[in-house]
Formats: sequence, structure tokens, C-alpha cells
Amino acid sequence: MKKTCWFLLLVIGLSLISACAPPAATGPSGTEITDQLGRITFVSPNPQRIISLAPANTEILFALGLGERVVAVTDYCDYPPEAEGKESIGGYSTPDIEKIIALTPDLILADSIHEKRVIPQLEDKGLPVVALDPRDLNEVMDAIRLVGKIAGVEAAASRLTGDMQQRISTVTALTGPLTPEQRPKVFYAIWHNPLMTAGAGTLHDELISKAGGISIAEGLAGYVEISLEVVVAADPAVMITGAGHGDDAEQTLRFLKTEPRLVKTAAGRNNRVYAIDANIISRPGPRLADALEELARLIHPELFTKL
Amino acid sequence: MTVLNKPPRGSQYGSGIPPWLWKRSHFFSVFGLCGVLVLVSLMATTVGSIHVPFLTTIGIILDRLSPAPDRGWPSFLATIVIDIRLPRIIMAGLAGAALATAGATYQGLFRNPLADPYLIGVAQGASLGAVIGFLLPGDWLGLGNSLIPVLAFSGAVGGATVVYLLARVGKTVPVTTLILAGVAVGALLSSLVSYLVIRSTSEVHGIMFWLMGSFSLSKWADVGAALPYITAGIIIILLYARTLNVMQLDEEQSAQLGVNVERLKLVLLTAATLITAASVSFAGTIGFVGIIIPHAVRLIWGADYRFLLPLSVLTGAIFLILADVAARAALAPMEIPIGVITALCGAPFFLYLLRRRKRQIF
Repeated sequence: MKKTCWFLLLVIGLSLISACAPPAATGPSGTEITDQLGRITFVSPNPQRIISLAPANTEILFALGLGERVVAVTDYCDYPPEAEGKESIGGYSTPDIEKIIALTPDLILADSIHEKRVIPQLEDKGLPVVALDPRDLNEVMDAIRLVGKIAGVEAAASRLTGDMQQRISTVTALTGPLTPEQRPKVFYAIWHNPLMTAGAGTLHDELISKAGGISIAEGLAGYVEISLEVVVAADPAVMITGAGHGDDAEQTLRFLKTEPRLVKTAAGRNNRVYAIDANIISRPGPRLADALEELARLIHPELFTKL
Repeated sequence: MTVLNKPPRGSQYGSGIPPWLWKRSHFFSVFGLCGVLVLVSLMATTVGSIHVPFLTTIGIILDRLSPAPDRGWPSFLATIVIDIRLPRIIMAGLAGAALATAGATYQGLFRNPLADPYLIGVAQGASLGAVIGFLLPGDWLGLGNSLIPVLAFSGAVGGATVVYLLARVGKTVPVTTLILAGVAVGALLSSLVSYLVIRSTSEVHGIMFWLMGSFSLSKWADVGAALPYITAGIIIILLYARTLNVMQLDEEQSAQLGVNVERLKLVLLTAATLITAASVSFAGTIGFVGIIIPHAVRLIWGADYRFLLPLSVLTGAIFLILADVAARAALAPMEIPIGVITALCGAPFFLYLLRRRKRQIF
């Protein structure tokens, strides 16, 4: 009998606690936007307190001249340098939800990495979230136009995308006519342990092919592991990796240059092992044009001496 | 030493086979498995993401022994067979032999069927060392990419040493204390590893891959570094096979029969730790081999350590070479961490053996 009483008290107490929970947020008002994850959201017409949850988003915002309106970015947002002076909301994949709420943003620019965990939490709190998920150069320019439209800076967006498009075309005008024989086989190493590469459908693959190379991982999809013997058998003429990223900037480059089996490939023998700034090539932002030019110079030095 | 004249434990369940024949068949098993090991190794050199015909493979290997001027294959095939596949096969064989032997040794020494090579903090110590290696700035002390195995080895030996010292009670090291200290220190080290993994961002994938074990980047230098430790350790353990048989009674009786139990523990723990550490440093923490192989051998051939140990060496090597073949061939050109394969094949096979021979195995 006594136990039953305690149990009833517990149930009543718990129901009181749940009664304290705030009522579900009513649907936000504003302009209807379909973001790059296909979500439909409403954002206020002229957002003034923007939070970026991804380094690429931060780069897009600043390139569009919206730096003043950005209130917070992630710990990894290091470009442009002004971004580092902004408030931090924590890591890229693990943003601090409480801090985001406390900053009362009127626009949050998320990324596909946040789709499962972070975006639902933020939406629960009635916060306006737009996700960018560009998978190739065209979608990067779409993302820039989308941000331009939301923030009311369409003119800046079309200038920025026009400039990118022109720089891309300058490169592809020279590499487009190359025959398959004139295109060197390129091995792009994402990571060395395990050995990982960028297959079809990745930005790296698109940039390598636009820069006049043939990726040896064309037959693979996405960012995948590749076995050493496949690389050795493909005998790449050029090996490239990203550097200046994470805890050790040049680990993978050093691996490519010293691994006894890779040293024997054409790239190793002819000393054509290069590093490219990992941030410009892996962030789907405006600096992809820089990455393309840099790759073109590395793969076809004879065509792009003056670029 | 009358006890040694007793038939070994496995034979008392034998189906009426006279002891002399029983023993002779064990010798045949050892030689037979040697042959299987060579065959499996040769077969393994032909399997991979790149197709190399069997005869070409043999040709490439023979050519390395006595080089001929005109070769009928492109030079990258020689690189693949000699510089990529052979070292990883040998490394897998060494690691398999080491883990199986260490597992059998721990099980015999602790008289505990659940003992495995990672019981006394070796794996957790190695993991901590390796993770620190992943996180340290690249060319620390100029060690470059060999930093990780060096730190993993130190971590493994360090972990086991700490456990051994903590477990000391006066002049003895009771088995129960050793196991408990191993569990506690292991948990502590694991939590440090988890913390460091969470803290690092760019290295998470590499660390996880290392922890699951892989031979994908094994090279001759690794074989050269691991071979002395593993061979020496295994030989030392094999020399103590008879003593391990005596130890199956219990420590007090073994001591009465003239076994210096504490010295035996120190020697065998050191040898087993060294071979496990050498394997873990270059192959990562591969699970299941150390526990499944000795039990499988025990189920098939019985529990006489004079045969159990060499048969475990061979079976462990064969098993891990085959597991590595599966790791690189199943989803080629992708590689699967070998720990996934050993668990996937090992656990059901073990259960099958357990059900087929419904008798006490330990």
C-alpha cells in the first residue's frame, strides 16, 4: 500500500514536470525557402544575426559582404581572417545548441552533416535553419545565389558567381580540348592511414578532371578507401594531397613522398608529388576557383605558367 | 614428474585411439599444417584488387630468387607481389601466430578460458600509445611515420608492466589479482583513448581504422622489425610447453612438483606480452584470434600444450592470412578492417565447434 502511494506521488510529480515544458513552437513566419537538402523553411526577409555552422558557409557569407551580419561561426572557420574574430559556437559537427539559442540568430546556415542531429534540435526551438549542401561547382554557385537571395544581396551573389564562372571557364578552355592521352593520371590522397581517395561524385574528382587530369579513382564513388596495390597498378603520373589541415599539416604528403611502394610510381620517380591547401579544395565555397587554378598549374605546368 | 606420464587431458576423451598413435597423428598434423601454411601463403599472393595470374605470381617470386633478364610482366606487378602482398602476408602470418600463441599461453597460465592476449592491458596500452602517435605533430623526434608503431609498442609493454606491478602481493603475483588489475588498468587506459579520440577531429577515421586492425600498409621494414620479437617470444613459450601442462593442475601442486611458479609467470608473461606488443604495433588491435584459435585447436587436437602451442602458431598464422585475403578481396578495391573479418568468421566458427563437440573443453 505504501509503495503504491509513493508510486502515485512519483507519477504526479513527473506529470507536473512535463506540464512545465514550453508549448510547441508555432510555425515561423517569413519568406518560404527550399534549401539544398530539399527542406522547406521560413526565414525573415532581411536577416541581421546570422550564424554559420560550417567553414564553407562562413566563406560564402564573407565573400558576399555579409561579414558584419555574422554573429557567430564554428571553431574551424579560419577564413577570411576576420571570421576568427567572431563569437564561436563550438565544433563543426558538434555545435553548442545552447549557445546558438542564446545568440538569438535570425538565420542559421547549416550543412548536410547537421541533418540528423543538429537541425531537428534547432527547428524544435523554432529557429530558422537553411542547409547548404553543394556537391559540385554548379551547386556551390547555387548555394551562393541562395544565400544572396535570402540576405537580399542578389547583386553581390551574381558578381561572385560570375567571377567564379569566368575563372573556371578560363581553365576549362585550355583543358577541355585535351585528348585522353594528354591527360595525366592523378592520384588524389585524402588520407594515408587508411589510404583514402576521392572517387566519382566528389568535388576533388570534378576539379581534377576540369584541371585536365584523369583521377585513378574514377571507378569508385565518394570518399573511399583504396588499396595500395590499385594505386601502384594504376601508376599515377601525379600525386596530390591536401595540406595545412588538422592536427598534422603534412602527414599525408610525407607519406606519399616516402612510402616505399609509392616512390616507385611514375609520380614518385619524376618527383611529381604535390600538396594543395586542403581548405580551399575541400570546402564547397568561393575559393574552389582558386583550387581549380592551383590543380591546373600542378597537373599541367606547361599550359598554366602564367595563371 | 609422474604427472607427465598421465595421458594429456585431451586424450582421455579420445575415442579409443591408443596413445602412441594419437601422438603420431599430432606430429602429422603439425607437418600437415606447415604445408597448408605454405600453400595458403602462395594462394594469398595471387589474390587482391589487381588480378595477377597464379603462374605470373610464382614467376615473379622465383625471379626474385634468381633474376632473369627478360621478364614477361610489367614491373608494377612485381611491386605488387613482392613489395605489397608478400610483406602483408608474412606480417599477417606473424601476427596470427603471435596472437594465437599468446592467447594459449595466457589461458594456460591463468587457467582461465576467457583469457586473451589483451587481458593484462597490452591492447589498451598499445591503443593509447598509437593514439598519442596519431596526435603528436608529424615529424616528432624525426621518427616520421614509424612513430606510431614505436609508441604503440611502448604503450603495450608499459600497460602490461603496470598491471604486473600493481598485481604484486609480496613476492607473488596471484592470477586473480593480475586479471582484476588488467581489467581496471585496461578500463582506465580505454577511457583515456576515448577522450583523445573525441578531442581529435581530423584523425578520428585513421584512429578507428588502426584500432580495428589492418595490414593494408604493411611493408618489409615492418616485417623486419616485428620478426625478431615474435620468433624469439614464440620459441621461449614453446620451450615451456611441458611446464604449462603441469600448471594445468594448480599453482600449489605445480610448485610441489618443482615448478618455480612465479618465475614461470614472469617469463611467460614477458614473452607473451612482447609478441602481442610486436603484433599490435604493426597490425592494430585485432580481436578474436587470441581467444578463438587456441580453443579451436584444443577442441580438435586436445589440450596437451606440447601440441597445442605449435598447432596454435600454425593455425593462427593460417587463419589471419586468410582473414587478410578476405579483408582485401571482399570489397576490392576497398579494404575492410581485418578485425571485422576475424569477428565475423571467428565467432560463428567457434560456436559451431562448441556445439559439434558437446563436451567440456577446458
